[in-house]
Amino acid sequence: MIFHSLDFLVFFAAVLAIYWRLGRRGQNVLLLIASYFFYGYVHPWFLILIATSTVIDYASARGMERRPECRRMFMAASIASNFGMLGFFKYFNFFADNVHAVLGAAGIAVGMPVLRVLLPVGISFYTFQAMSYTVDVFRGELRARRSLLDVAVFISFFPHLVAGPIQRASYLLPQVEAERRFSIPRAASGFYLALWGYFKKLVIADNVGVIANKVFALQDPSFEVLWAGVFAFAIQIYADFSAYTDIARGTSRWLGFELTENFDHPYLARDPADFWRRWNISLSTWFRDYVYIPLGGSRAGEARWARNVLVTFLLSGLWHGASWNYVLWGLYHGVLLVLTRAPGVRSLFFIPAGDGKKGSDPRFGDLVRIPGMFVLTLVGWLLFRETELSAIVRDLRLSPFHSAPFERQAGLYLFLLAFGYSIPLWAQSLWVELNRGEPERPPGWGGAIVRAAACGAAFAAILVLRSRTSLDFIYFQF
Amino acid sequence: MRRGELPQLLLAGVCLLALPLAIRAAASRHPAATLKPSYLPALEGPRERGPFDADRLPALARLDPAWVVIGDSMAGSRIDPALLTQRTGGRTAPLLYAGSGPAWWYLVFKNWVIPSGVHPRAVLVFFRDTNLTNVLFRIDASWALDTAALDREDELNGVVARRRGASFYRIREDVERLYGAEQARRAVEPVVTEWPARAMFPSKRARAGFMQQLNERFGLSHLRPMDAADMQATEDREADFDAYVDESILPLLLRDAGRAGLRLVLVRVQRRPVGGRPPYQSPALRRYVSKLAAYVEARGAVFFDDTGDPRQTLDWYEDGDHLSHEGRRRYTEAFAERLLRRVP
Repeated sequence: MIFHSLDFLVFFAAVLAIYWRLGRRGQNVLLLIASYFFYGYVHPWFLILIATSTVIDYASARGMERRPECRRMFMAASIASNFGMLGFFKYFNFFADNVHAVLGAAGIAVGMPVLRVLLPVGISFYTFQAMSYTVDVFRGELRARRSLLDVAVFISFFPHLVAGPIQRASYLLPQVEAERRFSIPRAASGFYLALWGYFKKLVIADNVGVIANKVFALQDPSFEVLWAGVFAFAIQIYADFSAYTDIARGTSRWLGFELTENFDHPYLARDPADFWRRWNISLSTWFRDYVYIPLGGSRAGEARWARNVLVTFLLSGLWHGASWNYVLWGLYHGVLLVLTRAPGVRSLFFIPAGDGKKGSDPRFGDLVRIPGMFVLTLVGWLLFRETELSAIVRDLRLSPFHSAPFERQAGLYLFLLAFGYSIPLWAQSLWVELNRGEPERPPGWGGAIVRAAACGAAFAAILVLRSRTSLDFIYFQF
Repeated sequence: MRRGELPQLLLAGVCLLALPLAIRAAASRHPAATLKPSYLPALEGPRERGPFDADRLPALARLDPAWVVIGDSMAGSRIDPALLTQRTGGRTAPLLYAGSGPAWWYLVFKNWVIPSGVHPRAVLVFFRDTNLTNVLFRIDASWALDTAALDREDELNGVVARRRGASFYRIREDVERLYGAEQARRAVEPVVTEWPARAMFPSKRARAGFMQQLNERFGLSHLRPMDAADMQATEDREADFDAYVDESILPLLLRDAGRAGLRLVLVRVQRRPVGGRPPYQSPALRRYVSKLAAYVEARGAVFFDDTGDPRQTLDWYEDGDHLSHEGRRRYTEAFAERLLRRVP
């Protein structure tokens, strides 16, 4: 089921109508039923996978606690089952294609099997979330839960099931286990957040997505048209993914849950490290805690640190999709991050002697660093969006000096069109960035009236400006 | 809870629902306010529609055809009506629209052929692979659909709603009607999509030229060739006869033919041969076709499958799945023979 369908609104209203009449256990039973209904709405067989993953991870965690001497074996079982499912459904064809290509290059013709099955949506998200539970139990940072129901709700909680944000067991499980009370302020903030999410998805992401799709369908794009398309895609992927997060967080608040932030205005990042503190935060921190730090982090010298960064980003790229362009995208960001440690490059990024974290006072350097980092991010999105390596090479070789005047006009037109749709996104980011650190004041009636008017305007915009082409959330495919 | 939190939330809710009513007031001043409700509300809001082509009914009655051919360019590039008439001795009425889909074929049969009162020896419907059970195939070809649709098409709309999973389309329809959203969109869309062009080209003529050139820039000839694997995967998803037959026009078509006492001949055309052989058919597609054949023949229709016909070699084809002029002649001759054997 998708958030931007009437089916979901009716479903959510029905869940809410029952939810707050039940006690904690009843609420969890309802959440599990609702989550499985939500997930299996189109393809019921997906439920077999999530149920299997849940039972294995629950049993593994319990086994680790009951028989500590075998905890490695239980951990291995959890990793094997989660990565096994992920590998089979997501990476089998990628693996088969590449083996076929390598053998073919060596003159050995082998017919490789092709898996003709849909990639279960959200499998990358919930397997990572489930694994965070067993790894934390393995590390002794979390106790194994006795209640299979609570673990199943933690893994399948429907608002964030298919596209995150990935929640840690130590954060979400206590909420699943706690008594929940309906709170008007929390519901109100959830309402505003979800409405903003719907606006971003239907008005911004879907409209600029049409521009990006058209450009990336061209077999002969010019420099200007291509980069206008990349800009449109940059807006689309941010608006789309952050919209999903906002709707997930907003609807969770109506159910008495608080999910973690996943975005912090990433296009105002000042350097690569800052970008990754702001983009897909739940995934970046997952890779930091479960891959980068276990690899040694920055504890063993610059060379090992660089290796650890590159390995982490390569895996992060591969997590996004079974295709070389995602690997390239991950490596590209890893290389950027490694380069920013080099003294000469640090000065290029105007990175001060400190760590240059966000929240510092706006400086002159930011006027260069922020657009500079945005351009570097765009190059990354080109790698992300182009699935064919030959197309990437062709795109990167395009020159602005060989375009016909019409191509320049077309590029400008497409850029302005995409920029026009993205103005609310930029305005919000700038507003938040400029007011960062200011104490949050409760809005008086004046502010409430402005906010109410904004709600009306947002709904009117959704009615009138939403794209006629309804696109799936991009991160569903991961 | 802070004091005033609930009233503030209620105010936001009221504004959310009430402020967009201004759209309705604004849109009522625009010519788009006269838009009619769509006959496919599960698919779209009110829109300007083309007229129903009522002239077809008396024209059909006058011709009194022995064969009525319904389809898209697949039928058009295969059947030469004059030649079919000559070879079978019965007049042929081609009811074709390039770029049309099963929804149009069904509407043509229901709203043109049956009401015209003609009793042809057979009504021939040409299609490719899974077209007949995919009502969404070319459903957006409204320029064609309008010519054959009545003011209400509840059954077709029901099929579309089931196929799209749009079970709650009536809620959306009511919301759209309440706010006059579709009318407003018709007024606002050109402003929103053309503002950069207005800024870049103050002259209306230059702007129109630029927009036309832009449309051509994104035309078919500039697009990447579709990925064959993706196409195959898409087709395989469609090749599930049991899953989709009740969400398609096929049962309606067969039912209406039975009621009107008309014989249907459903013709699956062969796609373009590859490497000197008939096109590849996945196991799923083979299963689909055998179920389709059994289903339609059990309901009194005749099923022709061109795929694998050794005579239909690559030299009959022109572009894609279309036949050349010479291929069309040869196809029509062969088809006439086969037709007379099955429909004496």
